[in-house]
Amino acid sequence: MKFVCMKCETYMNFEKVEKPGEGSLGVFFGCPSCGARFTMVTNPGETQMVSSLGVQLGGRTAAAEPFEMTRSGLRGEGPGQAEMANYLKEHYGDKPVSTTATESSEKKSGCPFSAVVAQMGLGSSSEAGATLSEFVWSPDALDRLEKTPSFVRPMVKGTIEAYARKQGYTKITLQVMDDSKNTPAGIPWAAAAEKRLENIPDFIRPMARKEIERIALERGAPQITEAIMEEAKTKFMNFM
Amino acid sequence: MSQDLKDILGRLKYTDDAKVVQQITEQMKAVKNRMAGIRHKFVVMSGKGGVGKSMTTVNLALAFARQGDQVGVLDVDLNGPCVPKMLGMRGRRFAMTADGAMPPVGPLGVKVGSMDFFLEELAPVQWKGPMDLSPVWLGLTEMNVIREFIADIVWGKLDYLLTDLPPGAAADKPPVIAGFIPDLDGAIVVTTPSEIASDVVQKSIAYARDLGIKVLGIVENMSQYLCPHCGVESELFDGDTEALCQALDLPLLGRIPFDRTLARSFDKGMPLLDGDYATLKRYDEIVTRIKALVDYKKIMARQL
Repeated sequence: MKFVCMKCETYMNFEKVEKPGEGSLGVFFGCPSCGARFTMVTNPGETQMVSSLGVQLGGRTAAAEPFEMTRSGLRGEGPGQAEMANYLKEHYGDKPVSTTATESSEKKSGCPFSAVVAQMGLGSSSEAGATLSEFVWSPDALDRLEKTPSFVRPMVKGTIEAYARKQGYTKITLQVMDDSKNTPAGIPWAAAAEKRLENIPDFIRPMARKEIERIALERGAPQITEAIMEEAKTKFMNFM
Repeated sequence: MSQDLKDILGRLKYTDDAKVVQQITEQMKAVKNRMAGIRHKFVVMSGKGGVGKSMTTVNLALAFARQGDQVGVLDVDLNGPCVPKMLGMRGRRFAMTADGAMPPVGPLGVKVGSMDFFLEELAPVQWKGPMDLSPVWLGLTEMNVIREFIADIVWGKLDYLLTDLPPGAAADKPPVIAGFIPDLDGAIVVTTPSEIASDVVQKSIAYARDLGIKVLGIVENMSQYLCPHCGVESELFDGDTEALCQALDLPLLGRIPFDRTLARSFDKGMPLLDGDYATLKRYDEIVTRIKALVDYKKIMARQL
């Protein structure tokens, strides 16, 4: 946060922080040109908001203690906060600030965000429309989608449609489904390359296969050969 | 006036004379420095509560330790910390030093950081001040408390640090917390075969990936019920975690049965540690797979 002296058209300098009362901060600023000064005074809530950032305005004069904020903030640890509680009672009665605001909005609508949701047209009337797909699914693609377990189907559908959207497709076919998995199906493996892949432990072999196929795809190679394998190995050696 | 202000601001150079930006930068540096001695960092997460995230975290940590690794567990479930209780460490405290907070050491030398070390038994986490019930302030405070957990604990040299995240899915904190940890190796996701759990877990994975967090794989917990009398395993749910893994293009790291004997030992704070125990062997296998995943590039370079 910065303050501008509109008369001199310059930023005011931060000068110092004082504590005029428990839970309150007075932050002093001065204009370097005309010398005008003013003080911003925070209430306990605002003070606590600033302290929860774990910073001290004006910088630290001593290094932070371990778990400084945690230890000073937990109830039952550190000095009492009676004056803050008094301030709260004085200004808001027995109810904390946050619940007062929430309760009043809940009474009106049942949900504090419902008015915003309605304004944005995201309410229940538009929910049915949200499930409609913007894509045309070919019958065989739809058939394959329906064969996936019901609880993963939305995720699978979403992934494929996101890929199709990115590619500018309007129709989802089996080919689009395959391509969305980023598995360049159809790249043949030479027997020697396939044999060499067996050197990789079972558990990470599918990842290795995919990575090598990706390299082949980038090179436009029609087949996974030992040369491609060697290139993959060199690539990984460079990471070591 | 607004045009005037825009012109004025355009001519002025911002200075951080309240030193707020400087302090936040220093906080980030402190996190990075503190994490520098840790070879691999994982978060254990799940969108769903009650799937056994903490049980998985501590058992993976113990499995790493059984394989001779130096391990730390960071329990950042601030409001429901249970790692100390599971490891028989209730009532222990951090030792505060000039260098930072020294974490208590549990079974097999596992170092543990947890909010529980600040709390009396059965005491909830409650904050002081007029904003203590403000959701906005609570969110900000909890994030900074977690930042302190990451920056202030003196882990020393560790091979693996596992962070047990609180439950939560999309618009929630866990993936954001994971973003605090520099050079994170990835997330280990825990689910049960329950379709309800799988639904929520998918959301948390999608959200984590959206934030650029690498998901290493899925652990299926409570796969079967292991009868303590006859040893027969029975299915607890009808879900299909393998199909979930396939759909998400993730490896299934392993399946852990619900083992009453093991669960009770952690419940009582007297964890079973014997590496020959059948269920613990499954955790050992998962750890071996995790090591293969993080060393994937090295394995490829050496063995391809």
